[in-house]
Amino acid sequence: MWSSPRSKIRRRHNLFSKLVLVVCCSILVPFVLLAQTPPQKPDAQEPMGGVKTGPALTYTSRRTVGITDPNAPVIFEDVTDKTPLANFRHRSGEAAKDYIFDTPSGGAAIFDYDSDGRPDIYLVNGSTSAAMRGKEKAPRAALYRNLGNWKFEEVTDKAGVANERWGFSVAAGDYNNDGRPDMFVGNFGVSRLYRNNGDGTFTDVAEKLGVARKGWSTGASWGDYDGDGRLDLFVPGYVQIDLGNLPPSPSEAIKSGNAGCQFRGVPVMCGPRGLTGEGDTLYHQKADGTFEDVSVKAGVNDPEKFYGFCSAFVHVNDDKLLDLIVVNDSTPNQLYINKGDGAFEERGYPSGLALNENGREQAGMGLAVGDYDNDGLVDFHITNFSDDSNVLYHNDGDNNFTDVTFQAGLGEVSIPFLGWGTSFLDFDNDGWQDLFVVNGHVYPVVDTQQWGTSYAQQALLFRNLKGKFERVGAPPGNVLANAWPGRGLAIGDLDGDGREDLVINNLDAKPVLLRNVASTTGHWLGLRLIGDVAKKSPRDAIGAVVYLTTGNFRQRRDVLSGAVYCSQNDLTLHFGLGAATKVDKLEIKWPDGSTELIDVRAVDRVMTITQRSK
Amino acid sequence: MKHALKLFSVTLALFAIAGFATAQERATVLAGAELTRVVPTGFYFQGLSAPTQMRNTAAARFGTTRFVIAGLVDTSGYSADVREKYVGFLITDSEITLNGESLPAGAYGFGFGTEGKLTVMDLAGKNLLSVPITNDKEMRRPRPLMMSADAGGVRLYNGRNYVVIAAK
Repeated sequence: MWSSPRSKIRRRHNLFSKLVLVVCCSILVPFVLLAQTPPQKPDAQEPMGGVKTGPALTYTSRRTVGITDPNAPVIFEDVTDKTPLANFRHRSGEAAKDYIFDTPSGGAAIFDYDSDGRPDIYLVNGSTSAAMRGKEKAPRAALYRNLGNWKFEEVTDKAGVANERWGFSVAAGDYNNDGRPDMFVGNFGVSRLYRNNGDGTFTDVAEKLGVARKGWSTGASWGDYDGDGRLDLFVPGYVQIDLGNLPPSPSEAIKSGNAGCQFRGVPVMCGPRGLTGEGDTLYHQKADGTFEDVSVKAGVNDPEKFYGFCSAFVHVNDDKLLDLIVVNDSTPNQLYINKGDGAFEERGYPSGLALNENGREQAGMGLAVGDYDNDGLVDFHITNFSDDSNVLYHNDGDNNFTDVTFQAGLGEVSIPFLGWGTSFLDFDNDGWQDLFVVNGHVYPVVDTQQWGTSYAQQALLFRNLKGKFERVGAPPGNVLANAWPGRGLAIGDLDGDGREDLVINNLDAKPVLLRNVASTTGHWLGLRLIGDVAKKSPRDAIGAVVYLTTGNFRQRRDVLSGAVYCSQNDLTLHFGLGAATKVDKLEIKWPDGSTELIDVRAVDRVMTITQRSK
Repeated sequence: MKHALKLFSVTLALFAIAGFATAQERATVLAGAELTRVVPTGFYFQGLSAPTQMRNTAAARFGTTRFVIAGLVDTSGYSADVREKYVGFLITDSEITLNGESLPAGAYGFGFGTEGKLTVMDLAGKNLLSVPITNDKEMRRPRPLMMSADAGGVRLYNGRNYVVIAAK
């Protein structure tokens, strides 16, 4: 078909006009589409009050107390009143909780201070403003010697570990490699390092050795970050407080007509937001046994002064160097990757650990460390404020983490709770690490409101079903149906029956000692590791990683100091073996980086393994 | 033919001018010392000056001399009703658009409402502008506040939600 030149020109003209139209449309359409994008509800909202938390939720009833399940199995039995722990009363400030330092104490430790094979218990105590001014007797921490068969003897005075300062945390570690575990006690004021003298007594050597940290010291951790065979000490700092210039208390704010600090529109104590935070401290142990502050040199001094609460030296990746995680309240968490030259690189944001999956800062409190999905990499569970979920971070490898909280079944249930101590444990010895979380609010006023939460709160126990978690209900009348203003938590097999027990330190209340009575047929293995100092492994093997294989099933445990919340779990590692009656492979990666295969001849017992010298 | 050529030339010229202007006003997201140099350490809004959360700040330069700065502030000193609507500041030294809506040079407060919008306020807290936010589900590592380059300017993010800021 032929056409005239004029029609060709017209056709070209039309073609060009269409081209211009197409180009213009392709430029304009995205803008039109963008402008038409329907508004969406934000998945993150700035917090109300002095903490970083989620949007306020409305409930018709309290979700943190009185929740029972008549069909739930009995897992724990309260044995507190059969022991002298029943006489311990924690105290921190006044009941009104007018100031921030009244609320976060205190930690607990399970550790075998007398090396008799039976783990003992240490409970940190708080203090009061009057006691700080010498106007009343200071509350005392307490040490309980385990005599076996659930008998304990209080040995605080004999041991000389009453502290009598405003205590927050405890971290056990054999800093001088003499085979006897020592204790760092983090205080609001001057902290202590209790050297274990080996005769049932301790001596505070903090001043002498250079770790008498001033300020507000929280959840510390021991670890040999530079591979010299000597434990170093990391101590997070929380908030700078001037007792002579305190922020207004809720009652003062109401009296003066000032709005003061509020939570959901109700006056509460101020902080941590709005208060100046405190930097963190890394103490490097020198060859002469004294410590030097290397925080700045190592790049872990926290120049932004985040509100530090909890820390742990742990192997985040596959290299031989101990890394460090710091959980911060209302500010991003920090992940310090050890560079191997005495310094760390902060990788909180790029790793995904700094924030939750929606990029929101949270009020981090406690930290559980463990390989919950048995993939060989260590994962983290971090507790947060009420109106917000706790967070489970899955380790994807290469220093990358993904927030898998809701997929794992740990999200919704935790929102009304204010979480503190959290720890993995295998309560039923099935080889999958379960989770125990201690809760309690910081504002007494929550009990007068319908916010779905309460001041005293039930603890949460989750059973691990191959990487997914389900809440284990509380049978009516059982200890798990009780509510406490919980804080510290420590795990350990206190009676040597192969089932992990625990102790909870409660704010302004008596502690709770829980005996594991779960009916389980699962086998188990306990491991006590002794490092070879000559090979530059700390004697208590902090920093060691153990891989245990039964059939095709491989588990990992880490020898850790700190974490939980201002607390210390027993350094004896516990493996649930399920139906397996033999261990096919036990591989220990010692702190010096060497690897050793151990022949396990029997299970259902605790093995002591000393690092081979050659 | 003449008409078509004329149209072609005009279109080309328009594209050239637009391209030149775009090159001139290309947005650069600032980082490091460049960022800290322009971000104020505190911000006045509705009767109070509050410290800036320096970790949650972002800024962009359009061309060579025009800046837009945003940051979250510590709102703990404000009453609950102010905290509900105000989270940070937006400073621009020239006229910009937010999702196509004009905003003259100035210093403003802003907040993210529950209705899925970013609201810009004057320093007395009066609402000036409200624009819908877009959710970026693909974002791997969201942060409380950040900027990233966008074909039309920069995206100002709060978590996974963003609006587009462009030079005008």
